[in-house]
Amino acid sequence: MQTAIQLILTSLQIGAVYILFSLGLTLVFGVMRIVNFAHGQLFAVSALVVATTVPWLAGWGLPILPAYLFAVVAGVGVAVALGLLMYVGGFRFFQRDLVGSFILSIGLVLVLDGVLLKVFGGAVRPVPEILPGTVSVLGATITNQRLALCVAAMVITGLLYLALTRTKLGKALRAVSIDHEAAMLQGVPYNAMALAGFIIAAGLAALAGALIAPVTIVSPVIGADYLVKGFIAVIVGGLGSVPGAIVGGLFVAAIETFGSFYFDPSSATIAIFLLVIAVLLVRPKGLLGHG
Amino acid sequence: MPLTIRVKSIAFGASLSLLGAIGAAQAQETIKLGLSVPLSGTGATWGKGSEFMCKKAAQEIAQAGGVKVAGKAYNFECLAYDNKYNAAEGTKVAQTLLNREGVKFIGGSLGTALVQALQSLSERRGVILFTTAWGPSIKGPKFPLTFTQMNTPFEILPPLIRFIHEENPQAKSIVMLNPNDATGRDTEAVAKKVWSETGVKVLSSDFYERGTTEFQPMAARIASLKPDIVDLGAMPPADAGAVLKELDVLGWKGVKVVEVGTGIDGLKATGGNAIEGVYMGAAVTFDGPTATERQKAVNAEARTLLGESINAIQIGFYDSVYALKAAMEKAQSIDPKAVAAALPDAAFTSFYGDKVDFYGVDTYGSRQQMRLPVIITQARDGKLVEKSRVVPSAK
Repeated sequence: MQTAIQLILTSLQIGAVYILFSLGLTLVFGVMRIVNFAHGQLFAVSALVVATTVPWLAGWGLPILPAYLFAVVAGVGVAVALGLLMYVGGFRFFQRDLVGSFILSIGLVLVLDGVLLKVFGGAVRPVPEILPGTVSVLGATITNQRLALCVAAMVITGLLYLALTRTKLGKALRAVSIDHEAAMLQGVPYNAMALAGFIIAAGLAALAGALIAPVTIVSPVIGADYLVKGFIAVIVGGLGSVPGAIVGGLFVAAIETFGSFYFDPSSATIAIFLLVIAVLLVRPKGLLGHG
Repeated sequence: MPLTIRVKSIAFGASLSLLGAIGAAQAQETIKLGLSVPLSGTGATWGKGSEFMCKKAAQEIAQAGGVKVAGKAYNFECLAYDNKYNAAEGTKVAQTLLNREGVKFIGGSLGTALVQALQSLSERRGVILFTTAWGPSIKGPKFPLTFTQMNTPFEILPPLIRFIHEENPQAKSIVMLNPNDATGRDTEAVAKKVWSETGVKVLSSDFYERGTTEFQPMAARIASLKPDIVDLGAMPPADAGAVLKELDVLGWKGVKVVEVGTGIDGLKATGGNAIEGVYMGAAVTFDGPTATERQKAVNAEARTLLGESINAIQIGFYDSVYALKAAMEKAQSIDPKAVAAALPDAAFTSFYGDKVDFYGVDTYGSRQQMRLPVIITQARDGKLVEKSRVVPSAK
């Protein structure tokens, strides 16, 4: 029983970051009908800025928690600025153009990979422990850091849900994702919504990167692993569906956790890919997708 | 023309000729040494350190007058390309080095799968290949131009595992974890055999994909099996540190081994205090009484550049340069085939300070393995401590 609780807790921890990551991907698709492969680079930029800034600020004598919070602001700021540049310089010309945006985002991945390597170097960047210690939850152990990550991810997901359902911007984004022409006829400014959606997605990727930095191996190639898992989560959950991204993220995390535990890590990786193949064959829209 | 002017003209011309002759004698040609190494990702410090050590050796040789062959002096130039520690990139690097750069000597290469891609070209093209790759299948009479520049599992694991077993006789069970590629599988095959021979029961031997960043599930599996020993085989330092950290969180306490562990800095970056007590087979400490001033100076320079001490992998890239120098001067030729024939007996002084030749007839069928000391170290109170040193004596 304790093993099951530990595994569920592990799935939730891992799933928390996948959810934040894939929420951004699904939001971009929902609003702009494009897939952004450079989403992983926004995630990586934020993680790298945090990993660089925290030790620097701590070296200046700032306590570790405020240093981390400043670093998160910096990381999200840099990643969102990069996202804005990507949109203004590229994606706004390829709205609702799946092939064009695909080629553009692949090109951006190649360019940004090189830029990140040049700026940050290839080596792993450790982040000092922000919240040391562990806590016991129903007999299972979790570090304070990962618990904070889970709580933060839940809060951010909750805020996003509230924003999408209760605010004018959120309703406009949903309207555009359901039927952009009807939304425009109702006076919803499509271009402004596309920009807002892209920036929010960039922010979500950046927050995911900033939250995961203290508990993972931060290097310029960190985005690649999360991009693959994030896309799988979005495909399983349904492109353009926010609840789908949450379900998909948790699904991928659960297979990764339980698969690694009961079989081995390589089998778990294969199982994740088999899952997405199965979903595409049986329900191409995804579990909660719109189509 | 008046006599004085004629004499002055002749003297001037002779002076110019003499200067030209001196200049020609001092002009040195360059021999390119290709390096296929990871310069990004979790193996980046290995790759960057390897490039640093190659350049260090090349610089020292140049300052000493270069490699003297048939009346000419040659300098080495190290050309490193990023193989990202995966076979696809390794293939691209192989093409770049051999086709575009036209190198005749590969000063070093990292990663068994990548080296296999490189070797398929280098042997055909008559290019000498130095490698740290651990697979036994890449050496032998079928690959006469391939040489290994660091100890492999066949050299490291028997003394390392026996030493650990003698220090921890109460440890009777083990779980092993390795990367799912040729390096990991080759390491696992040798380690499993040696552990079994010492009487330790292998509870599980798993593989994971390189590039993984989430190690919690793997740690949960390992901890659930309650092994006395956890052997992280050929895992890069950052990955191994992450696993040890997660095991510590789960409360597992036991004997920790990172066979290809090359130092504590990379482990500490992700593992923190959880790395205490880790045994390693490819790390070198420069804090003990055996370290020379030169070794300490080079290590200090490397620490400034890389943020961590140099290790056995990187030292191999230094030794290969000196090995090539010794073989070229012995053969009095820069033709790769002639150099390869001279290499096994071209003794040189390695960075470790020992006189080194090549051996391996019993294991590989030919003398292609550098005879280097196996150094067993352990992390103690955040420092690396040398526990034992063995120099192989086989032929």
